[in-house]
Amino acid sequence: MPLPTKVLPGFTASLYVQPASTPTPLTTAQLSLIASVSPLTISGNLLQVEAVPVFGQDDAVASFMVAGSRQSDKLPTQSAPTSMTITVAWNPSDTVLLLIRADAYSGLIDRTYVVQATDGTSTVNYAFNARVGQFQIDSQPGAEAKAVFTLHPRGNQYGWTNTA
Amino acid sequence: MATQQNPVQYAKAIQYQLNSIVTPVPVYATFNRNFAIEPKFLTWMLRNVHQEVFTGQTQSNKSIDRPTFQISIFTQQIEDGFTISNQILQSLHGFSGLFGGATNGFWIAKADVTWLYNSYDNDDKLAQVFLDCTLDIPT
Repeated sequence: MPLPTKVLPGFTASLYVQPASTPTPLTTAQLSLIASVSPLTISGNLLQVEAVPVFGQDDAVASFMVAGSRQSDKLPTQSAPTSMTITVAWNPSDTVLLLIRADAYSGLIDRTYVVQATDGTSTVNYAFNARVGQFQIDSQPGAEAKAVFTLHPRGNQYGWTNTA
Repeated sequence: MATQQNPVQYAKAIQYQLNSIVTPVPVYATFNRNFAIEPKFLTWMLRNVHQEVFTGQTQSNKSIDRPTFQISIFTQQIEDGFTISNQILQSLHGFSGLFGGATNGFWIAKADVTWLYNSYDNDDKLAQVFLDCTLDIPT
């Protein structure tokens, strides 16, 4: 199944949130399965984010020295998935935002999230399981009120999928 | 990696899209002498067609295109111009999808419309409304 073969504008990325207050997150295998991921990418699960932040994997290396060697070596080690700090226009009644708010209160709920990008015909999904570690309302008077929260993805629980 | 997009394609798509939004009001690429015969009409001007060029020797090492076109609405009645501008706003602002119809259209990630200002030309006896529309086009 083809991937988009174009340079994509940032605006093509959107964020979908698995529904229900006590969800069963996708398994690691399902996160890489388009049949499991695509049912989540519907408009009812769309979160109205201002922009999808960087996602992926952080860097972590161990360097060590070898006696007699001029240069040390750097080994990629256990790197954490990138935490995503997300800004959303705050609608207190937004059902998806209420799920996030409850997750933040709990701190223990695992939920599947999907970042989807498309070139109009082909679609690529980055699906991951995450917990919400922060939930703040920024209501400064100069702009619309914003809800800011951070997703902390679970280690090794992500997958890439794409449609035909 | 991207090829330079064709401005001819942009022009055809803009013409088609605007026409489909405001029909039966005529859409022209230039002002001409339409003011003498048409009670309300539109013109558009494309500008800033530019794909950011990245470093290196490979010509196709380019980014997305974000062209802007200005929409000029001319009407004998001021209210007509505002009504047409609202039609365009409702249809185009935030639009994502096939832009410009099946034949000459292409997929855009986003259309962003800015309602600039309105004015009145006493010589032509025409009220005017100007809008800018920026497209985000995957390349």
